[in-house]
Amino acid sequence: MVISHALGARIKRREDPRLITGRAIYVDDLNFAGMVHVAIVRSPHAHATIRSIDTTAARRAPGVVAVWTGEDVKARCGPLPVGPRIKEMKAPKRFPLVIDGVVRHVGDPVAAVVATTMDAARDASDLVEVDYEPLPSVQDPEAALEPGAPILHQDLGTNVCFRMTYGGGNVEEAFAGADVVVKTRIVQQRLIPAAMETRGVVAQYKGGELTVWTSTQIPHVVKTTLAETVRLPEHEIHVIAPEVGGGFGSKLDVYGEEGLVAALALALGRPVKWIESRRENFIATIHGRGQIDYVELAAHHDGTVAGLRVRAIADLGAYSQLLTPGVPTNTGLMCCGCYRIPNAHAEVIGVFTNRTPTDAYRGAGRPEATFLIERAMDLLAAELKMDPVEVRRKNFIPPAAFPYKTPTGAVYDSGNYERALDKALERADYRALRDEQAKLRKQGRYLGIGIATYVEITGLGAVAGLSGGNWESATVRVEPTGKVTVLTGTSPHGQGEETTFAQIVSDRLGVPVEDVVVLHGDTRAVPHGVGTFGSRTTPVGGSAVYVAAEKVKDKAVQIAAHLLEAAPADISTDGARFTVRGSPERSVEFKDVARMAYKAYKLPAGMEPGLDVTHFFVPKERVFPFGTHLCVVEVDPDTGEVTFRRYIAVDDCGNILNPLLVAGQIHGGIVQGLAQAIYEGVTYDDEGQLLTGTFAEYVVPQATDVPAFELDHTVTPSPHNPLGAKGVGEAGTIGATPAVVNAILDALAPFGVKDLQMPITPRRVWEALEGNSASR
Amino acid sequence: MKRPITLTVNGTTYQHEVEPRLLLVYYLREVLGLTGTHIGCDTTSCGACTVLMNGLAVKSCTVLAAQADGADILTVEGLAQDGKLHPIQEGFWEEHGLQCGFCTPGMMLTALQILERNPNPSEEEIRHGLDGNLCRCTGYQHIVNSVKNAARKLKEERIPVIPVRKAVNTRAPVAGAGKEAD
Amino acid sequence: MHVLLPRTLEEALEMKASAPPAVPIAGGTDLMVELNFDRTRPQAIMEISRLPELNVWRRENGTFSLGAGVPYSRIVRDLTEFRPLVEASRTVGSPQIRNRGTVGGNLGTSSPAGDALPVLAAYDAEVVLAKAGGKIRRLPFAQFMTGPKKNALAPDELILGTRWKVVRGPGSFSKIGTRNAMVIALASLCLVLDEDGRSVRVALGSVGPTILRAPDAESFAARAMETAGVWRDPFGPLPTRVIEEFGERVAAAAKPIDDVRGTAAYRRHACAVLAQRALRWALDDRKLTGAR
Repeated sequence: MVISHALGARIKRREDPRLITGRAIYVDDLNFAGMVHVAIVRSPHAHATIRSIDTTAARRAPGVVAVWTGEDVKARCGPLPVGPRIKEMKAPKRFPLVIDGVVRHVGDPVAAVVATTMDAARDASDLVEVDYEPLPSVQDPEAALEPGAPILHQDLGTNVCFRMTYGGGNVEEAFAGADVVVKTRIVQQRLIPAAMETRGVVAQYKGGELTVWTSTQIPHVVKTTLAETVRLPEHEIHVIAPEVGGGFGSKLDVYGEEGLVAALALALGRPVKWIESRRENFIATIHGRGQIDYVELAAHHDGTVAGLRVRAIADLGAYSQLLTPGVPTNTGLMCCGCYRIPNAHAEVIGVFTNRTPTDAYRGAGRPEATFLIERAMDLLAAELKMDPVEVRRKNFIPPAAFPYKTPTGAVYDSGNYERALDKALERADYRALRDEQAKLRKQGRYLGIGIATYVEITGLGAVAGLSGGNWESATVRVEPTGKVTVLTGTSPHGQGEETTFAQIVSDRLGVPVEDVVVLHGDTRAVPHGVGTFGSRTTPVGGSAVYVAAEKVKDKAVQIAAHLLEAAPADISTDGARFTVRGSPERSVEFKDVARMAYKAYKLPAGMEPGLDVTHFFVPKERVFPFGTHLCVVEVDPDTGEVTFRRYIAVDDCGNILNPLLVAGQIHGGIVQGLAQAIYEGVTYDDEGQLLTGTFAEYVVPQATDVPAFELDHTVTPSPHNPLGAKGVGEAGTIGATPAVVNAILDALAPFGVKDLQMPITPRRVWEALEGNSASR
Repeated sequence: MKRPITLTVNGTTYQHEVEPRLLLVYYLREVLGLTGTHIGCDTTSCGACTVLMNGLAVKSCTVLAAQADGADILTVEGLAQDGKLHPIQEGFWEEHGLQCGFCTPGMMLTALQILERNPNPSEEEIRHGLDGNLCRCTGYQHIVNSVKNAARKLKEERIPVIPVRKAVNTRAPVAGAGKEAD
Repeated sequence: MHVLLPRTLEEALEMKASAPPAVPIAGGTDLMVELNFDRTRPQAIMEISRLPELNVWRRENGTFSLGAGVPYSRIVRDLTEFRPLVEASRTVGSPQIRNRGTVGGNLGTSSPAGDALPVLAAYDAEVVLAKAGGKIRRLPFAQFMTGPKKNALAPDELILGTRWKVVRGPGSFSKIGTRNAMVIALASLCLVLDEDGRSVRVALGSVGPTILRAPDAESFAARAMETAGVWRDPFGPLPTRVIEEFGERVAAAAKPIDDVRGTAAYRRHACAVLAQRALRWALDDRKLTGAR
C-alpha cells in the first residue's frame, strides 16, 4: 500500500471541534419534555434470597410514576444475552432485574423507581423495602471450586461455567526432560474500567419507533438483542450511541438497564432516562481481569524453553455477560507469547463468584497471557542467571517462521520480535542502564529495568473457539456534489476514526480529508455493524472503508472513461480530475463524475446509477501486533515507593494511519497497564462488600502518577488486510503491566524478592523487604 | 424554599429562583442548558465538572448554586469568542489532548488556572496543576503538550489567559426554563 | 434543607444561636460528598465562605492568627514563612479543592487525615471559637479535637480560626499515601524545631483516632541535640543512631489501624521513616541558615 499525503499523516482530529467547545452531546445531555428518571434499588448483599419487596411507600412518594420489581420485568421482558456459547458452557439466564428471588452480588438490581426528577427517584428508592435472607457467599474463585462451596445458580448445580483446554506437543515429556522448571502463581486482580463517563440510557417510544440512546460500544448488537428483551420487531428499534465518554470494554455489553429503560419507555409512553452514578458504576458495570494463573515453565540450561503449563482460574463474577467466557479463553490461546514453545498446555476454568461480573476490559485476556509468560521468562532468566534479554532472544519465533502456528492454536500473521526488542534496547542504552544499576546498588539505591516483549491478537469479531464471525461494514457514498459521506458499523468513542477513516477515503479517492464526513453509532443511519472493541476498528472496520472506497473509485473511473470516450485502463486521476493518459485536454472533474453518476442519463450500459458502495469486510485471518516495552524504575527501600525513571515503548501495529492518534492510544494504554501494576486493584471484604468503592480508594492514576513515555515503532504490515494495519488500542496496556512489574522485581532482586502481588503498593514492597507478614 | 440568585455565566447575567440544595453543576446543566460541564463522579475526585468561579478553578459539584450568588462563572461554552477558539482549545486540538472528550472541558479550565498563575510552566508544574482532573484515555502526555502549546500561543498573541467579557445582557427568570433538581 | 446566607459574622453567630443544627459550609469539599452519599441530611447549612471576618490573618505580639475561611491556595501563595503549613496546604486535595478548602473546614471535620491538622498540633495552636454575644473560647488543639470526626465545638459556636505563637526554627510537613496527590494520607507528619525553646515537636496524622504528638520522641531528640551540642553548633554531628531511635520513638507513639488503604504495621513504619527524614531535613536547614 502506498502511504499517501493523507494516510500516515499527523492530522488533527475531525471530531474535536464539538468536543472542545462543549457542544458534544452525551447521553446525560439529552432532555425531552415529559421525561422521567429511573433510580435502581440494588442489593446490599453478596448473596441473599429476597423474602419480599414492599414498594407501597415508594409508590406514594412525591413525583413517583412507577415502581418495578422482578415481577414486572417477568411479565414484560425476555432475557439478555449471556455470552458466546462455548463447548459445554453452563450459563444462567439474566434479566433486567432479578426475577428469581435471589441476588448474587452487591449491586444486583432488584427494583426500579421512576419519578419526575432524578432526586425524587433517588429519594423514593430509599423507601423500597426489601426483606433479604442472607445466604453464604463465595468470593474467591478457587474457594468456589471446592466441594461444599455455596452454589450461585442452583439449577446449574455447579459454580463452573466452562472448562477449556489449549495445547499441543508433549508437555509431560518436555517437563521430564528439562534441566530447570520455574513456577509461579499469579493473581490478576480485578480492575474497574472507570470510563470517565458512566453508563446511561435514554429511551423514547414515539410514532411506532423505540429510540434508545445508550453509552455503548456496540449499538447494533444492542438493537438486535433488545428486540428479544423488549419483544419488539427489530426494525422498530433505533439505537443511537451518541458521544460516548470512553469504554475500554465496559460498554461492550448489553446491560440490564438498557432493556429496563427501553421496557419502561414502552410501558409508560414517556421518555425515560437512567444515568449511572459513579458508585453504581463501580458495582454494576463489569470489572476486568480477575484470574488466578498457575504457571510452570520448563527449559534447558542454555535457556531454550521446552514446555509451558498453565492453569487459569477465571473469576467470572455472578453472571456471564455478553463476552465473559471469551476473556479468559484469550489467555489460553495467547499464553505462549512471542516464543517458540513446542510443548504447551493451558487449562482455563471459568467460575462463578458472588461478585460483580467480569468481562472484556482493555486487553481482555491478552494482558493476562502476556503477563504470565513474561513473568515466567524473567523467573527463568533469574534461575539460569542469564540476562532477561538473552532468554527472550533465544526463544523468539524467528521472522522466517511466519505464519506461525502456536501449540495453543493461534496463527501469528507476521512479526519480527527481535527487531522491536533491539530498537528498545538501543533507545534505552541498555548496557549503560545495567552499568548504572550496578553502580547505584553499591550506594544503596535500587534501580530496576523491566522488559516485556509481547504479541497480542486483534481484529476480533468473536473469540477463537467461539461461535461468531469476524466482519465489519462500511458505506462510502459520494454525494452528487462530490462530497463524501462514510458510514461505518464500528462505533468509535474517542479513538478518532472520524479522522482516520476520512484519511483512508482521501487516500483512495484523492479528495481532501475535509470533504469526507464519517458517521457512526446510529443504527438507522449506518449499515448493520459489529462495533468498536478488541483493537478491531482500524484493521477490520478501516479495511471495510478501504475496500468500499476502492469499489467507488473503480466505478468512478468507468463513468469517467465513458464520459471521455476512453477505455477505463487509460484513465488516470489525481482525485480532483480524471484524465485520459497522454491527452491532458480530455478530462472531467471528480464532482462532475459524481453528479453524472446520479443524473444517470449517460452511464455505461447496464451500470446502476449512484456512487455509493457498501462493503462487508471479512479479514482472511486475525492479526497479531507486537512490541517491546522497557521500563526503568527506582524503588525506595525505606518506604517501598516506586519512581519511574524512563518508559520506552516500541510497538509494531503494522502500517500507521495517523501517528498522532497511534501515540494517543499507546499513551493511554500504557497508563492503564501501569496502573494495574502499581495503583489499581479491586478489594472486597469477606462478605462481598466492595471496599474500593470510590475514586478515593480505587486509585486511577493522575497526571503526577505517571511518567512521560518515549515511543518508537517498527512496521511489519499484516498480510491479512489491505491496510496492512494491526490495531493499537490495547497494545500499550498489554505491554505495560509486565514491563513495570519486571522492573520493580529487578530492582528488588538483591533482596531476594521474586514475586509481588499487584498492585505493588509501597506497603507490599516494604513488607517483602521486611520479610514481614505475607503480602496480601 | 427557593432562593433568588444572580450570577454571570460566560458574560451573560442570569437571575433565577433555585432550590437551596441545587448544586452549581446542575444549575449550569439543567437550568441554563450548558451541558458542556460534565459530571464524572460523586466524590469531588474527577474534576470533570471544573469551571472557573471568579477566576478560580472550582469543582462545580462542591458548590451550591446559592453559594455562587454574585459570582462570575466561566464554562467551556465561554472559551471561544466570536467563533474563534481560545488558545487552550487550539492546544488540545493540535496536540491531540483529548480522546473521548468527557474530561476535556474540566481539563481546559483547570489548565487556564495553571497558565494564569504561571505563564511558562514546566512539565512537572503542569502535571501538578492537573492533579484534580482524571483522564482515562490519554495517559496525560498529550494533555501536558496541549498546555505547553497554549502557553506558547498565549505569549505570542499576548491575549489574556482567562477570556475577559463584559456582562452583555441580563436575563430575567424565564418561566419553565429548564428544570431544577429539588 | 435550608441554606443560610449570613452577610456578617455577627449575623452568622445569631443564626447559629437560633438554628444550631445548621452545618457551616465554606469550601464544601467534605460536606458535599456526605450530601451526595446521603450520609448526612442536615436541616440547614450555613454558607460562610464569604464572611469577611473569617478571610483574614493577623500577627500581633509574636502570635499569628489565621481566619477559618482562608483557602489553602492563598496560604500557599501568601504565607510562605510558615513552611510546614504551606507544605501541608499544597498537598490538600487538588488545585480546585485548594481554592475552596480551608483550615476551618479541616478543623470542623476533624478527620485524623486532615492535612493541616498535624501542623496545627505541632504549632501548639489554639482553636478560636465564637458564639453570639461576642463570647469567645480558645481551646488548645489537643482539647479541641477529641476523636475521629469529633471535636469540642458547641452546637451554637462557629470556628473563627486558629492562632499560634510563632517560633524560630525549621520545620516540615510530609506524608505517605498510595499515590502522589489528591490522596488520603496513610501517614503524615509535621516536625517543628523551636530554636529558642530548644525543643522538638512532632505531630502525626492518619495513624490514630486523633492527631498524635510524640512527647517521648520529642524530648529524646531535644536532649540528644543538647548532648551533641547541636543546638549551639548546627554543624555539630548528631549520631545516626539518634535519628534512627527518634524514628522508632515517633513510630511508637502512633496508634494506627488496618484499613483498605494500608496496614497498621506499614503506617507505623511510615511514621518512623517520615520522622527520620524530617529531622534530617531540619538539621540540614539549620546548617544552611546557621540556626538563625
